Amino acid sequence: MTIPPIIHLLFFPGGLFMLALALAYEYVDRKVVARFQNRIGPRWFQPAADVLKLLIKEEVTPNVTHPVLFVALPVLALAGSLTAALSVPILGLNPALSFPGDLIVTVYLLSLVTMSMGLAGWNTNNRFSLIGATRSLTQVFCYEAPFMLALLGPAVVTGSWRITEILQTLDGQWIVFSQPIGFLVAVVGLMGKLEMPPFDAPKAKTEIVAGAMTEYSGRGLGLFHLGKIVEEVVGLSLLAALYLGGVSNPLAFFGKTLALLVVMAACHCLFTRLRIDQTVGVWWRYGTVLVLLQWIAVILWRVMTA
Amino acid sequence: MKLGTMFGDIVSSVFKRPATQRYPFERVEAPAALHGKLIWKPGGQCNGCSLCVKDCPSDAIEIITVDKAAKRYVMRYHADRCTYCAQCVQVCRFKCLEMSDTQWEMAALNRKGFLVHYGHEVDVDAVLAKLSKEGPDATLTLAAD
Amino acid sequence: MTTSVQTGTPTDPALGRAETILARWAPVASRPEPNRLDVPVPAEDVAQAAQALGRERWGYLAAITGLDHGPEADRLEALYHFCSGAAVLTLRALLPRHGGTVPSVAETFPLAMFFERELSEMFGVTVAGTPDPSRLFLPDDWPTGVYPLLKDVNPQAALAAQSETAPPRLQGKSDGDRFIVPIGPQHPALKEPGHFAFEVDGEVVKGASVRLGYVHRGIEKACEGQTWVQNLYLLERVCGICSHTHATCYALGVERLAGVEAPPRAQAIRVILGCLERIHSHLLWLGVAAHEAGFETLFMYSWRDRETIMDLLEQLSGNRVNYSCNVLGGVKFDISAEQAQAIRRALDFVEERTRHYLEVVSTDTLFLGRTQGIGVLSRQEAEYLGTVGPTARASGVPIDIRVTHPYAAYRAFPAEMVLDTAGDLTARFVVRMKEVFESGRVIRSILDNLPAGDLTVKMPRRIKPAETISRYEAPRGEVFYFLRSNGSDTPERVHIRTPSLCNWTSVLTKAVGAQLADVPLLLAGMDPCFSCNDRTVVITRPRRDPQVLSWEALRSAARQDRRR
Repeated sequence: MTIPPIIHLLFFPGGLFMLALALAYEYVDRKVVARFQNRIGPRWFQPAADVLKLLIKEEVTPNVTHPVLFVALPVLALAGSLTAALSVPILGLNPALSFPGDLIVTVYLLSLVTMSMGLAGWNTNNRFSLIGATRSLTQVFCYEAPFMLALLGPAVVTGSWRITEILQTLDGQWIVFSQPIGFLVAVVGLMGKLEMPPFDAPKAKTEIVAGAMTEYSGRGLGLFHLGKIVEEVVGLSLLAALYLGGVSNPLAFFGKTLALLVVMAACHCLFTRLRIDQTVGVWWRYGTVLVLLQWIAVILWRVMTA
Repeated sequence: MKLGTMFGDIVSSVFKRPATQRYPFERVEAPAALHGKLIWKPGGQCNGCSLCVKDCPSDAIEIITVDKAAKRYVMRYHADRCTYCAQCVQVCRFKCLEMSDTQWEMAALNRKGFLVHYGHEVDVDAVLAKLSKEGPDATLTLAAD
Repeated sequence: MTTSVQTGTPTDPALGRAETILARWAPVASRPEPNRLDVPVPAEDVAQAAQALGRERWGYLAAITGLDHGPEADRLEALYHFCSGAAVLTLRALLPRHGGTVPSVAETFPLAMFFERELSEMFGVTVAGTPDPSRLFLPDDWPTGVYPLLKDVNPQAALAAQSETAPPRLQGKSDGDRFIVPIGPQHPALKEPGHFAFEVDGEVVKGASVRLGYVHRGIEKACEGQTWVQNLYLLERVCGICSHTHATCYALGVERLAGVEAPPRAQAIRVILGCLERIHSHLLWLGVAAHEAGFETLFMYSWRDRETIMDLLEQLSGNRVNYSCNVLGGVKFDISAEQAQAIRRALDFVEERTRHYLEVVSTDTLFLGRTQGIGVLSRQEAEYLGTVGPTARASGVPIDIRVTHPYAAYRAFPAEMVLDTAGDLTARFVVRMKEVFESGRVIRSILDNLPAGDLTVKMPRRIKPAETISRYEAPRGEVFYFLRSNGSDTPERVHIRTPSLCNWTSVLTKAVGAQLADVPLLLAGMDPCFSCNDRTVVITRPRRDPQVLSWEALRSAARQDRRR
């Protein structure tokens, strides 16, 4: 059953439903992290209340280089992540927009969020946001490449660049067992793209206040935040769909993505923040090398069995 | 290469009660030594020596003499100036002062409750009446400072 | 890690050596107390005397105290205190009350830079040749020519005259080609306000400077207007995490002035609370430093475990912070057998958790990646820059007042010094964690042999004229009190030199060449306590005509400041 694209984009399972889902996932993330740290954590409506507060709060526009960009970039970020959700099987339903190569387009739409943040940081002309923007863009380039290559592992195995075709060909097969390195690289890459601790140097609170987001308040900050949490859900769904045996029904979807979220929350708690030169330096070398090794293994396998 | 050294902590915390105190839904009893609100129980002993007034670092205590021969005094205690150091408790020769271990939730929306008068009801009423009649700067018989 | 146990270094040899070094001025020297040597020195010879001491490596500069003898006596004294072990040498320079000059000693003792700034802004003494004559604690718009610690100062008149002009902006450094990252006064990295300007090239710090004084409250001046008893509680509030430190150091000093000694049981209880304070301060520091590094989980867990000590302190004293356990002449409360058991149980729990944290900070690969080899301070550098406390001990400098100059019950129950040689951030973590164990050991040994007896001894209300110096090992390092009485029930002078003031130079020196991401950890590594830092001067009355800005005017003023 394919839902008409416009409904998918605006209401279900993208659009408003996606926003609600993203808020719910943020609640789970914060609650799990809190329980890991022996705290109570927020109540179920906290993420919604936070976003609502931001959206109705007054926005102070600082003296920026391009005022239009200041207002437009948050919208762009949210638009990018919501559009990325169009091609991903949320809740196990068929994606509305499926075309050859939509895997690559989806990943790049996800990066649009971080790139908008980086550009917004440069735009606001504040010392902290300049440093934050530099770190943010450096990090996204560094984690983008291995992440993309890792996601293409299943693509190579199934011989297609289209998410629906990949899932059909895999038919419930758990690639994580045959490409464990690729899975590891994909998870770390996702954490780096999302700027989750320990890779949160671009928004290191104790060094550069809020990084690229320092001058944002009110609506702009709310939209960037929404863009970020939607990106998280889309990324989790992609990983679950491609590596963890597909998401054929809502139960499988929730089970697999939430399990992955718990694993990422554990990583969040266990490790200290890495310096930007450590995040980039280590991963740019090892991450890319690992995923290329994985690729070589996959290609050799295909050649030998073909 | 040791990664995730706090793994044991986070896993065991999942099965433990969170350490957060759920105040005000659950109140923990305060220890007996707590420095809560100052309570004055002269029991006829206080002779108005005013060492407590002299030693207070924040001028939180005033002693108003009603009848020196009969040892009748009114103590005015400014709970919002008090630093809960218990120096007055320490210095009183007759042990007339103590700090409560039950009255410590003193947050309020206005300052009225922070001005506390101790003494015989008759005396306190007389002092309050004089204040309301002559205003807050009325000259009351204060102990020599 | 090495330890050394001493019951107090004998002072006569040290003081004798000092007399030989300062032979030119020795004939007028005097010994006001067995461990102290006072050497009056003409003002122009101060730098020479300091150089002589520096050449012979006699001790370190502990503090420079200004002392105003009042308009009748019409003279001012600048006291230069040098410490070597338990011996304290004071150079006394007489100066006129207005327009006095004294040469700088900052060439020999870099730490003097801060002390001389304090001396000149508080007393109006010109220090010739000091590297940085700018204000240290006073705000930038404090009127010139008004020196707060002079006895006859009248700040109201000056402030009234000044209220006509608009407040000047904070002197920001003009950027030009340099990229300056300001940390503070408002910054998530700082728990208290302070202003650091780091000149950054990419991610590497090229230059650093600090502006203190944001929590300046006028405590030293306020002490002169209150009685000795009232000051006990004022000084307790110099700092929240070392409140007992200040109160005890002061109480010990006042008792010495009065020629009185508190009973052994009281001294033992003071030390127990001091050790408990050290434990909870180090756990607090662990959490804060972990938070600066981005390791939130360690922050949450260490603060959760610290609550055990806070609850214990509340059980013993009635307050979680500002225990108010001291009175002049003893302590207020006793420790019963059940409370002693509670202390032991709490210590068992905290020590077990601290063992785990020690393991985490010294073996976790990612955490070591943030702390190992960063901010390395060699022993020579630490001694030259005048660093004190665990920051110095992590570099191998054997400075610990509990060992070299034991006070209170530390004579009967000696502590051991915890040293490390690496001098990097990891060493600072390790030293503080090990000090938790050492404090626990001292507490247990006292509880097992708590001396019987009274809790207080009678103290006169009026203290005969005298001077004394009281030193205490706070969790951050050496606290130095100079007390002078004048026969009344109020002090003549209370001068406090806190450890954090001594450690700034080491941080700023190490920040240059480090990555920007390391800066919060470097700042946290010295355990800064801004409240301890900024104390002196009267700021009690608001301006006559406060500026009333409309909402729009305030916002546009804020936006103005953002234009780069």
